[in-house]
Amino acid sequence: MTQATVACRARSWRLCLASPILAGALLSCGQPHTSESQAASAAPPAVAYESHVVAGDTPPLGGSLRNPHDGDAAVARGGAMLFNAMNCDGCHGTDGTGWVGPNLGDGRWRYGGADAEVFNSIYYGRPRGMPAFGGTLGVEGVWTLVTYLRSLTPPPNMPTESWQN
Amino acid sequence: MGVVRIAVLMSMAAALGCGSDAYAAGQSATADGDWTMPSKDYAATRYSTLAGITAQNANSLHPVWTFSTGVLGGHEGQPLVVGDTMYVVTPWPNVLYAFDLTREGYPLRWKYRPEVSANALGVACCDSVNRGAFYADGKIIYNLLDGHTVAVDARTGREIWKTQIADLGNGETATMAPLVVRDRVIVGAAGGEFGIYGWLKGLELSTGRTAWTARNMGPDEEMRVRADTFKPPYEHGANLGTQSWGNESWRTGGAPVWGWMSYDPQLDLIYYGTGNPAPYNAEQRPGDNKWSTSVLARRPGDGSLVWAYQFTPHDNWDYDATGAMVLADLTVGGQAVKALVHFDKNGFAYTLDRATGRVLVAQPFTPVNWAQSVDLSNGRPVLNPAKETGASRGNIKGICPSLEGGVSPASPPAYSPRTHLFYTSTNNLCMDYAVRHAKHLKGVPFVGVVSPYSAGPGGYLGSFMAWDAAKGSKVWENKEPFPNWSGALVTAGDVVFYGTLDGWFKSADARSGRVLSKFKVGSGVVGNPITYRGPDGRQYVAVYAGLGGDWALIAGDTRSDDPADVRAPADPVNEIARHTSQGGIVWIFAL
Repeated sequence: MTQATVACRARSWRLCLASPILAGALLSCGQPHTSESQAASAAPPAVAYESHVVAGDTPPLGGSLRNPHDGDAAVARGGAMLFNAMNCDGCHGTDGTGWVGPNLGDGRWRYGGADAEVFNSIYYGRPRGMPAFGGTLGVEGVWTLVTYLRSLTPPPNMPTESWQN
Repeated sequence: MGVVRIAVLMSMAAALGCGSDAYAAGQSATADGDWTMPSKDYAATRYSTLAGITAQNANSLHPVWTFSTGVLGGHEGQPLVVGDTMYVVTPWPNVLYAFDLTREGYPLRWKYRPEVSANALGVACCDSVNRGAFYADGKIIYNLLDGHTVAVDARTGREIWKTQIADLGNGETATMAPLVVRDRVIVGAAGGEFGIYGWLKGLELSTGRTAWTARNMGPDEEMRVRADTFKPPYEHGANLGTQSWGNESWRTGGAPVWGWMSYDPQLDLIYYGTGNPAPYNAEQRPGDNKWSTSVLARRPGDGSLVWAYQFTPHDNWDYDATGAMVLADLTVGGQAVKALVHFDKNGFAYTLDRATGRVLVAQPFTPVNWAQSVDLSNGRPVLNPAKETGASRGNIKGICPSLEGGVSPASPPAYSPRTHLFYTSTNNLCMDYAVRHAKHLKGVPFVGVVSPYSAGPGGYLGSFMAWDAAKGSKVWENKEPFPNWSGALVTAGDVVFYGTLDGWFKSADARSGRVLSKFKVGSGVVGNPITYRGPDGRQYVAVYAGLGGDWALIAGDTRSDDPADVRAPADPVNEIARHTSQGGIVWIFAL
């Protein structure tokens, strides 16, 4: 993908975000699964965090987002280029192997590794330094990055580092 | 100190058997036992007149006290000692501790915990470091990572003022130690990796209010350049800060300020270095890019620029010039010179006339191949065309030094007026460098490089060395198995002190380099040792352990604090995690 193509697509993502109700953008682009009562409200769809411990046995109401490009290798390749074009490597390192920001290719996730959790980390940002890219990238751009990140395969035996001599 | 008191102290010392005879013999009544500014003095020498610790007795140095700061970020910088109190600033979240040195175990008098935005952790390019505080007018003054300067009452710990100096949302953070000259607090911002519009500010010491802001590039007016008072040694003309940046690239050109500052009271000039131009792809910013990667000399009162000299015009390699500018009176070629000495990331050590900025000596102090030499007639490097980089040039291999620098600017040197030598850590790393066109996006990095490192020639990765800046030659060098990232300290006892990345704290004979003592301090040393006279009259040496800075990024396997961030070892330092991990500790040593 050339730089010109990236810029063109970025503009279309912004249009996607520019729809008046964010919930609407997410509904049209992200295929959320929400309860009818939530869908009827004007609030953005709640996301159920799969990696959270639930107090008591009752999880809060929430939907999940599904990556429309899950497993699509062509989208993942586009995401790799977008990763550099958006300067993600400036914090997360070449190929996402970690720099001032965490390694994104180790199969471990500070804020959860489910589709919706990774989406939210990029779209809304996270504490301790992750900027919110949703406004610049839009929903489709963020899913493209999620598709790339989830295509990264952790090296085998990642937890153990040993020295023999 | 009277004769009677010295005699009493000597007899007390002898009775206690604490080996202080040398202390008593070595002290003069005028010896300055405090350490009140980051680099010890305005000349940034990191030289102490204390002489209790000598080459003869340093082998009995041992730790007498430690304190965990509770913080894991890279512990660059150094403590201050003012009277009977030691002050320690931690990396983010920038806690300030005040230790009572008069009581056993040095309990805290107070600690100050400012509110600091965690968002700063993603805007600081290279770990959550802080390079220390400055004591002036009863205040401890330092910067918070999220772009504030605070003044805290040195006695009570009460906040006196807090000023926002930098814009986090625009890529600016504050990691440097302030410099206070008269009623001005001089501060700058990091952000060369975020395409900031770099600047220096002078705040009012009493209120924290901003008195002046001076850009490091841009139009003359914003740089506080006046045609009648700005006299750079090699250039002339108006608006060099815009004319030397094609495509108006100065607007997002970086040139941050995150290193050390010095001051000459006679010339009334402050000296500081600027960081890299942004982005790393030099083809996006045609021209010299003045005054990035430069030393600037300004008036502290109004910030006006008096001269500037650029070490690396049109920087192709991320060679920040934010390292210390050490002021020393030297004899160069038979002439007495008011000199400024600077070890640059680009691998050359420069000796300048600090009144004019003219280069007197420039010689490589570590393996260099991007330039053949520095032409003293025009101050410019003689480039090696094979090592020039750019998006159209692809991957340029084997550039020395690496972008970590021949020495890190975070690792300031020391100068002894007794040996007339400078002492500095070095890195012996080279790099490949593949840049691409980078798009500026506010608040995120503006870099665009893949730059893996490799070991430099000679089979070692770093060293600690003594340098003759009058001749431009190495006097001795202790090679180290890892890049060396600590600052230097030298004393009138002719002992130098430094730490290593794998966590040794060492003392050495300042004349020969012979190691006199070493102790494993629990984490790699990226801070700067200091020395002071305690309330008991003894000489102490203090240093931070706490691996970090760039090493938290490069050697991510030295980190153990995040189970969601596990990294493989990185070449060529793939053994470092065998020897150290993160963790901030203050150490104090004595005989």
